[in-house]
Amino acid sequence: MTKSFSALLAFTLVSFSEVSLSADLSAGEARYKESCINCHGPAGKGVASYPKISGNTIAYTTEKLEAYRAGIKQGPNSSLMIMMAMPLTDEEISNLAAYLETAKYK
Amino acid sequence: MKMWSKAFVPALVGTLATLGWSVTSHAGAHGGMDIPMIKATALMEGLDNPWDMAFLPDGTMFYTEKCKGLSVRLPNGSVNALYGMKETSGYADSGSDLFCSGQAGMLGVAVDRDFAKNRQLYVYSSSTKYHGAGCKTNFERCDGNIVMRFKVGADLKSVSDRTDIVKDIQYKPFESNQPFGGPGAHNGGRLRVGPGGYLWVTGGDRHRGICPQDPKLLCGKVLRIDGDGNAHPDNNPPAGFDKRIYTYGHRNVQAIDFRPSDGKAFTAEHGPWHNDEITALVNGGNAGWDPAEMTAGRGACPDKYCGYEPNQKEGMDPAIRAAYTPMSDTRFADLMPATWNNMGWSQGTGSAAFLKGDNWGIYEGRLAIGIMGIGFGGTPAGQRIDIVSITPDGLGINNITRMPIGFSKRFRGLAMGPDNALYVAVDEGEIYRVSAEPIK
Repeated sequence: MTKSFSALLAFTLVSFSEVSLSADLSAGEARYKESCINCHGPAGKGVASYPKISGNTIAYTTEKLEAYRAGIKQGPNSSLMIMMAMPLTDEEISNLAAYLETAKYK
Repeated sequence: MKMWSKAFVPALVGTLATLGWSVTSHAGAHGGMDIPMIKATALMEGLDNPWDMAFLPDGTMFYTEKCKGLSVRLPNGSVNALYGMKETSGYADSGSDLFCSGQAGMLGVAVDRDFAKNRQLYVYSSSTKYHGAGCKTNFERCDGNIVMRFKVGADLKSVSDRTDIVKDIQYKPFESNQPFGGPGAHNGGRLRVGPGGYLWVTGGDRHRGICPQDPKLLCGKVLRIDGDGNAHPDNNPPAGFDKRIYTYGHRNVQAIDFRPSDGKAFTAEHGPWHNDEITALVNGGNAGWDPAEMTAGRGACPDKYCGYEPNQKEGMDPAIRAAYTPMSDTRFADLMPATWNNMGWSQGTGSAAFLKGDNWGIYEGRLAIGIMGIGFGGTPAGQRIDIVSITPDGLGINNITRMPIGFSKRFRGLAMGPDNALYVAVDEGEIYRVSAEPIK
């Protein structure tokens, strides 16, 4: 009983942990298309004076978005990015970072 | 059923047309209203921020890429890279002084009216060549934008005889404490040849508060000059102004074209989180933008620029912004009132072109205007091309129809081709041919 319960608990914890940490690329893409795409262009390719934001590691993008969300200035368009990042949840940042890591424009 | 056919259907179609929906397949129900079939086809892909196009009568298309340079697409589809910017490769020639940063780079291009005889072409670009002793801070003169004239080779494979006909359009050299605050901000850059063959050059305020109303600085101005860079003899700016100035008091003009029916010049420019505007230009007129601090009841502003006040960090009601720093300030007696103000929103007007040719049906003579889409602070992004019917006096609009092309992108450059198609450059890297065909 004890062994079975422990095994079940361990399995549940591991599974829960994996679910909570795994990002949803589709959700990230959908969130990207809600607002980010207007400046950064399709698949984060970068357009006009807005930089390319695809192809970076998940850790890099996450760090940047979390900093903007915290109101930390990082470059000349910070006012805009802080405003855009303020409403993002942890989950949305995770999904966006995962999507942008591999996103490619035709 | 008869009721549906005779009464309901025309009413429904009329309602849809009013809403700007495509109703091409029902044109017959309009009792002859000539609504064309509009279709967009990608002409070029994989470009790097294409910005502007200019055409020869046979369809040859010159085009600029903001950070690369000037190229030409021949009617058979082949491309020749003509004049590159610093550190580019593959061009027949290049300018080591030409650079890009932020909104600045190689922007407008226009073909001389007498190209068949003189093979002259004009190009607007950012350049380090005439910085002189300036450009050390954002609060001094920095002549960093130029207009170049080239002679195009007979084989369309090269350009020569570069002559800088305008050397003193100001540029923003450093980052500032503003939204969109990087170097190169509000850099204007559209070139068009207008009535009489004169060249029109559009400028931006380069985030410097004093620019638009200053009599000598060319930032925030529209110029009308000849092919050598001299002022049109009939330019009529206020006393003490640079004679090259046709209008002043602009924020950031990236659109200019001339109404086919009377040759009147119309600009479109970006608003500061409120009021994108179309303006009918009046010789010597003031577009009414004055973002200087310590004026019009305002106090000090970040980096001496009140263009995003009273709150540049968050969204707020555009009407409150408009009251604080208006796009068209009515305290100016020589104000040119706006033709259109995008319902009080700023979504980023990129370029505009009057639709020419009877293939455009009821839209012939209306102004197509590209909206790039900037969705901040509750403003919908609104990426689209609008077709605007402007009143004969130029001071208002009759209606607006969204061009039914089936997609939304950052519509940066619009130009009519010799085939009466509209050519559209988007920041994403494509140039589209938008055709209109009668369906009667």
